[in-house]
Amino acid sequence: MTDRVLPTPRRSIGKSLLLTLPILLWSLLMFSRSMIEPGRAPKLAAAATLVFMVALFFQMMRTLETHRWRRYFFVALGFLFPVGFIWQLYALRGSMSIPVERMLSGDTPFCFLAIPMMILPAAVAGTVIFPGSILPTASNPHAIAAMVALWFAATLVLGKGWCSYGCFFGGIEEGFSAIPKKPRIRRLDPRWRWMPWAVLAAIVLLSAATLEPVYCMWLCPFKAVTEYPAVRSFETAVQMGIFITLFAGLVVVLPLLTKKRTQCSFLCPFGAFQSIFNKTGAFDIRLDQSKCTPCVLCEKACPTMSITPEAVAAGKPLMSCMKCGACVDACVRDAAVWHIKGTEVGASSERARLMYLYSAWAFAVMFGGSIIAGALEKLFGLMV
Amino acid sequence: MPLTALMTEALLLGVSSGPVCLASCTPVLIPVLAAEQKSPRGTGALLAQFLGGRLAGYLAFACLAWLVGLSLQLQPRAHALIYGLADLGLAIFLASYALAMRAHPAASCDQPCPAARARLFAHRFRSFAPVILGFVSGLTLCPPFVAAGVRAAESGGLAHSLLFFLCFFFGTSIWFAPSVGLGLLRRFAAVGVVARLTLFLLAGYYGYLALIVLGRVVLHD
Amino acid sequence: MKKLRSILGNTGAVLTLALAVLAPFLLFGWFQAAIGAAHLRIDPTYSGGQISHVIDRANYRIVVNRPVPRRSPLQRIGPFVQVTWTPAASLPAHFSDDVDLDGDGTPDVRVAIDSQNLSVDVAPLNARYRPMHSQGVTSFSALIARVKDGLVVRIPL
Repeated sequence: MTDRVLPTPRRSIGKSLLLTLPILLWSLLMFSRSMIEPGRAPKLAAAATLVFMVALFFQMMRTLETHRWRRYFFVALGFLFPVGFIWQLYALRGSMSIPVERMLSGDTPFCFLAIPMMILPAAVAGTVIFPGSILPTASNPHAIAAMVALWFAATLVLGKGWCSYGCFFGGIEEGFSAIPKKPRIRRLDPRWRWMPWAVLAAIVLLSAATLEPVYCMWLCPFKAVTEYPAVRSFETAVQMGIFITLFAGLVVVLPLLTKKRTQCSFLCPFGAFQSIFNKTGAFDIRLDQSKCTPCVLCEKACPTMSITPEAVAAGKPLMSCMKCGACVDACVRDAAVWHIKGTEVGASSERARLMYLYSAWAFAVMFGGSIIAGALEKLFGLMV
Repeated sequence: MPLTALMTEALLLGVSSGPVCLASCTPVLIPVLAAEQKSPRGTGALLAQFLGGRLAGYLAFACLAWLVGLSLQLQPRAHALIYGLADLGLAIFLASYALAMRAHPAASCDQPCPAARARLFAHRFRSFAPVILGFVSGLTLCPPFVAAGVRAAESGGLAHSLLFFLCFFFGTSIWFAPSVGLGLLRRFAAVGVVARLTLFLLAGYYGYLALIVLGRVVLHD
Repeated sequence: MKKLRSILGNTGAVLTLALAVLAPFLLFGWFQAAIGAAHLRIDPTYSGGQISHVIDRANYRIVVNRPVPRRSPLQRIGPFVQVTWTPAASLPAHFSDDVDLDGDGTPDVRVAIDSQNLSVDVAPLNARYRPMHSQGVTSFSALIARVKDGLVVRIPL
């Protein structure tokens, strides 16, 4: 590992605690309802999640690093979401497969991955091509309006940072990519980076033409760990085969071999869609040309190959940047910095980082934290 | 019925049906136009070729139906067979087209080698691709086309029917005009890469659909 | 100009932070209400379409929806009409109904249902409809399924 040119900075414990205080108060507010629920499991789960989230934020303040601590949260979210979700499915109907009856009754929970496919048919014909319900009901709280509202609010705040703080699937491959010390495959053809855009174009056009959510039916690897149409025919068997193959390949095996988030980089059309909102956010990451050597440590650290020689020359990552902070933490010369758009690069990078982290972590506690607490409640319920 | 009234009716029917035609053609059309990376004028020429091929597809089937006396309201099995074959042809074609886009004609070669001949063939194939893609798209027998065909047949006489159908076709084609704007994206090389990858994905999708549809037709025999 | 951009940038950053705090208390509710007010509806291939008319029987009702056409040549789910017998609890184990699907007062199909084994036989009384036999879900446009308090049958056109 390359030695830092500059000494490793750390913030004092007192200052770090002070900076963590708003997040502590926010977390208490967010988990207060769970604290007064009957039973020990919800209280324990809420307390554990609160301590977890606050401790991680404290470490972000103390060590002045972002990526490592964010990753703990994100991996926990990625692995615990399926635990809670599958638990709920088995409690409700004893199976992960979606019966057609549930689709006909509009009880299919809406997933944010379907959003890009919904836009054209909704805009042109006023219909939503998803077997759910528009507004929340007793049998379907995860209705379309609720999930789209959540996504929209999150996107206003995070931009493509959704892929680092909100997506409850991305943590799975991030977890696998963190396991090996070194990548076995170092060189990946950078042209594959365009695949998510091609997938996005294909599913948007096909969904508008066929009036069905094509990605959900044919390409979503996360069907393997959530819910999927019941396998009753050759067609549904092939669909299931595709889901499992994509999950195993892009979410498990390739991240282990490359130490990259390969599903996000090479398939996910929602990630490509979110890239557009990197243009609208107030924060970004910049590469200070005056300090860059270039040593390509940032390029190696980036989980989505968003830093290329061309990006370094341009002074900023590609629009696929997820604002995970890996490049900033990897840079030994403080050339990769957090930045508020419109301001001078490098002038107040820590302030930019703090402002972004407060926004992102507030959302993470509210959304991801509630998912983690929900899953822990079920696990603790077995023990207490 | 007076000629102008007939033409107006056909045009309005075409304009109202245009979104359906557009939705069914755009999965193929948009990636092809984007992948070619031509100027708006060049893209317009490609669009015209595509629409010409589409019209030829419609007219070919309509003439066949007229000559043989078939009803345009096909039995489901015949409908499925045409659909399946059209999808299969489209899948093979899209994949070939995407591959052909990488080929360039031999720049200078005194003795044309097999590889150079293959590249030249690919280049010529690519030149005709929009027309052929339009023709295959025209065979999909979308509901507005069927309805227009039935109405055209009722208008009396072959000339009237063809005129009605041409006006209907023009009405639907108006909706395709904005796609000429894709020519403005030609300066972004990434658009071409994405469009070619999209063609491969679409080829896979149509290929699989074709296998399912044709499999169902065969198994029900 | 540089100063203006800096002011705007910092304002944007502060607003982002404010949005993050306001999101669970205000934004979610506003956005959800806005989407709810957009007059969107679930695609009829999934919802079964709008209700056309209701036929009353002694112990149950037959809810007939409007036909759902194929709106795109690439659409795989074929045209159908959805009919619901409700409440499911008061349906006999085996029964048959002549159902008027287009609301003209004349029965169009004869539907024979085995509500215990969830199978249905549809015999057309009118050339517009096709015969159908379905044990459970054959396809999205030809099925019999128990949905909440009703027995849903989709008859292909």
